[in-house]
Amino acid sequence: MPLSASSSAAYLQNTSPTPNGAPSTRPTSLTIHPSALFSILDHYLRRTDAQHRVIGTLLGSRTDSSVDVKAAFAVLHSETDEQVAVDMDYHRAMYDLCARVRPNETIVGWYSTGSDLNTYSALIQNFYSQETAPHQAVHVALDTGTEGGKGAGVKAYISSPVGIFPKPENCVFVPIPCELRFHEAERSGLDLLLSPNASPAQTDLDVLASALTDVQNMLNRVLAYVQSVLRGEVVGDKAVGRYLMDVLGTGVEEDGGWTAGLQDTLMVTYLANLVRSQAEVSARLALTSSA
Amino acid sequence: MAAPSMAAALAASLPAPQAAPTPAAPTYEAIPASMSKAIDIEAEIPLTCVQLDGMVITKILKHSREASSTTAHGLLLGLDLDGILEVSNSFALPSHTNDDDEKATKSIGRYQASMLRSLKEVQGDDNVVGFYQATSLGAFFNQTLIDTQAIHQDRLRHGGVVIVHDISQTARGNASFRAFKLTPSFMDAYRRANFSTAGLVSHRLTFSSILEEIPLRVRTNALLNSYLNMLATPSTSSFSGARPGEATTSALSPSYSVLDIGNTGLTKNLEQVAEAIDNYRTEEGNVAYLSRQIAREKLRAETYVAKRKEENARRVSQGLNPLPEEDVSRLFRIPPEPSRLESMLLLGQVDAYAKSLESNAGTGLVKMYGAKASSGV
Repeated sequence: MPLSASSSAAYLQNTSPTPNGAPSTRPTSLTIHPSALFSILDHYLRRTDAQHRVIGTLLGSRTDSSVDVKAAFAVLHSETDEQVAVDMDYHRAMYDLCARVRPNETIVGWYSTGSDLNTYSALIQNFYSQETAPHQAVHVALDTGTEGGKGAGVKAYISSPVGIFPKPENCVFVPIPCELRFHEAERSGLDLLLSPNASPAQTDLDVLASALTDVQNMLNRVLAYVQSVLRGEVVGDKAVGRYLMDVLGTGVEEDGGWTAGLQDTLMVTYLANLVRSQAEVSARLALTSSA
Repeated sequence: MAAPSMAAALAASLPAPQAAPTPAAPTYEAIPASMSKAIDIEAEIPLTCVQLDGMVITKILKHSREASSTTAHGLLLGLDLDGILEVSNSFALPSHTNDDDEKATKSIGRYQASMLRSLKEVQGDDNVVGFYQATSLGAFFNQTLIDTQAIHQDRLRHGGVVIVHDISQTARGNASFRAFKLTPSFMDAYRRANFSTAGLVSHRLTFSSILEEIPLRVRTNALLNSYLNMLATPSTSSFSGARPGEATTSALSPSYSVLDIGNTGLTKNLEQVAEAIDNYRTEEGNVAYLSRQIAREKLRAETYVAKRKEENARRVSQGLNPLPEEDVSRLFRIPPEPSRLESMLLLGQVDAYAKSLESNAGTGLVKMYGAKASSGV
């Protein structure tokens, strides 16, 4: 699930092992959890007038080749024409606090809003590389889409030193692919945010009904397409036709377990109702027993 | 159980009720007429609605799923405005370990204080408005939750709310967030620690009248909204020969986990119901045992008094001095009447498990009929 829309960037990776034969610790991809993304957006909304962009620390876990960003917190910083300052004490204190709740999340890099990478970015990157040593720090640049001309999107970078004598203020930011990742079980929570007037108090049946309506609409769309192909109005796409046959051909097989399953479910419903009424009666009896 | 310790930690670190930052409070300018109704310094406008920010929802989701058991809890931060409690941020609290209660209490308090201070530094909200608790299968009644909320209700402006998030229901495709606060009658009984049978009767308490639900709605700010829509908009693949299933991709592809036909959770749910009923029976047995003991002690005391009276009457008739009337309560220790709170909470759990079982089975039934109709059997 790529985060930024069509990008023509080719992700070049120098995968040659280091001279001493140890595997390279350079991450080749990055995944980000929605809650980290939303924290960054919230931080951006709460910036002061003087702040041109906001930065913060990314927490998460890493495997050999990928980095999983799970959380983010804001860090104070100030940028002027002459200098950049990051509140390192704040960063350390906040990291210690976060580590107490989620000890498996470590510092993996930093984020900033806006997409411009400048000398200060290189300096901050240098600082975070010290924090994440021996691994490399990743940088996530989040474009909020509020500045003119630029679309919203998220880009991830790693850095390599540049020049014969590497200096902290010089580095090349190499883009790496970046994806949104969350657990399937959290999906319904995001659905809640996507639908403008969904109330979290709806019952399971309401959700089921809306999902079924969705499916029905899609079937109608497919049906309309197939009929227009049959009438000869549209030239049919063979790939679509085969795909439809694959999907719709897998009919549900008749299984004898249906009746048994139905009886079980009915029994469970009955039992649940019985338990509930007994509980209610018991609560009422507790109120009257002394009378 | 570290219930009281956590409650004490909360109490230690919470600000006094008046400390809630109301924007208009420190200035001496007149409140604009348009806002005069909305801003209430004295917290007089009752809460009618809780508004959860999108970020808070994702944070709670993540924390609840990652915490192994249903112990995930954290604090909610925000402000109230014109009867709407706006929850704009949250942070997780470390789950308490039982090794050293005194130490744990203090460290949780310190943790909270420093976290609030840190959030304030980056212009975050630092006003505690309640806490959240993860639960599974709908059964969230427990002593810890009640204790914590009771402390909040005494100390926080507007009493605070507890947001209950049901993991199992969310996994089934219906994200469940509900906001509660304790009812006034329960608070009254709680303050007097009066959960004897008479106390329950006079406060008319059953498990369904412990908590009252507050309507909850979800808000996404404009920036978040535009971002979400960007994520959900499908983008067409640049390859012309892509399979139809992969031709369009989006960061948030639609999911139909709701339509899963398997009744996977039912067995677990049934077990939970049975377990809750067992717990309830044990507790009822304890209460009954204590009640019998009280009755026995009372009977012994009464027979003793009656015997003494009879003897005195006899002695008077014989012309002797009556024996002194001794203090019965010193001779017989009548145990205090058992608290019915625990059994009430357990009964609430039984009800909640059964309720979730019922709704789970109900949807399962609909899906089964749906599948049967579509397969044309």
